[in-house]
Amino acid sequence: MTPLRLVFSVPPSARMEASCLELALEGERLCKLGDYHAGVSFFEAAIQVGTEDLQVLSAIYSQVGNAYFHLRDYAKALEFHRHDLTLTRTIGDLLGEAKASGNLGNTLKVLGRFDEAVVCCQRHLDITRDIRDKVGQARALYNFGNVYHAKGKSICWSGAEPGDFPEEVTTALRKAAEYYEANLAIVKELGDRAAQGRTYGNLGNTHYLLGNFREAVSSHEQRLLIAKEFGDRAAERRAYCNLGNAYIFLGEFKLAAEHYKKTLQLARQLKDRAVEAQACYSLGNTYTLLQDYERAIDYHLKHLIIAQDLNDRVGEGRACWSLGNAHTALGNHDQAMHFAEKHLEISKETGDRSGELTARM
Amino acid sequence: SHQPSSVPSSQILHSDAIEMEPETMETKSLTNYFSKMHLDSVMSSC
Repeated sequence: MTPLRLVFSVPPSARMEASCLELALEGERLCKLGDYHAGVSFFEAAIQVGTEDLQVLSAIYSQVGNAYFHLRDYAKALEFHRHDLTLTRTIGDLLGEAKASGNLGNTLKVLGRFDEAVVCCQRHLDITRDIRDKVGQARALYNFGNVYHAKGKSICWSGAEPGDFPEEVTTALRKAAEYYEANLAIVKELGDRAAQGRTYGNLGNTHYLLGNFREAVSSHEQRLLIAKEFGDRAAERRAYCNLGNAYIFLGEFKLAAEHYKKTLQLARQLKDRAVEAQACYSLGNTYTLLQDYERAIDYHLKHLIIAQDLNDRVGEGRACWSLGNAHTALGNHDQAMHFAEKHLEISKETGDRSGELTARM
Repeated sequence: SHQPSSVPSSQILHSDAIEMEPETMETKSLTNYFSKMHLDSVMSSC
């Protein structure tokens, strides 16, 4: 039974209406607090009770879809955003249809269904243009950029480096940059600094993949500035990490190390162990490029310890491979052999065939 | 000081380490909807 049919089969009753609303409002309150599991339970109970108010039902579908999106259950998110789209079209709610299209587009993008996502983004953009909703237009353009960025990244040749991707990839990435620029023009006009921050971040990443590393730095510097304005440490951390990546490809390894150190500091403040591990790994690699192998070993060991704590065998394997190389450079052959053997053992276990072959060499 | 002569290989630093900004999901708030409905009914009764 589809939720729509369920709604129409429920007889109208004041008590039932109150009950549906109460359940849905509790679901909304829980989702706002970030308890999406509990929120979904209340929303689903509200759907079971049903309502004749189709605007309420649309809001419920939309919020359940978003809750599943946050929970990374994208199949369920897709299901509910689809229900919302069908409903808003049925009742002729244009603004509601634009929002449902936007959410559906984001979900399809995460699922790698880029062509369908583009159709949704276009509908989102068309409606918001028709009803002269500038905020909505900006959001549709940002989503469009994200879809093309993800599409470009998904077809990148494995092993290819930023700036050296096939034509199909660069076409998608250039489209992403165009949409981000169009978004920026609107959010600047609206004075929406938070939106500018997000767009500068993703535009910087797009320039990075296109091999435009100076433009990438410029965008990430803007992102960093805005993150600091808002005291948004997670965004600040992302900007430092992305700046570090761009400086690596500009060959400015000392600057890269400075930015990765800021990333590490913020990851520790935010108690994000996985990001802390990534920052240590990046620092280890950067000091390898600087031929400061003692420091490289220090950071790769820090990475190894966190990877072991998190039971991340792939990360552990990478750390061992890097440690083997750094010890080889220093002429510590016993240590190099120890880490090469560990790398081989982990590569076999994780089924990393190329890692296994590298280790055997 | 050390002057790098070439860009590093992706074997050393992989591009999948880039950090993306979050998606912006559209919201349909029931609280706002009912506040607006309440306000509309108050306005029409005046």
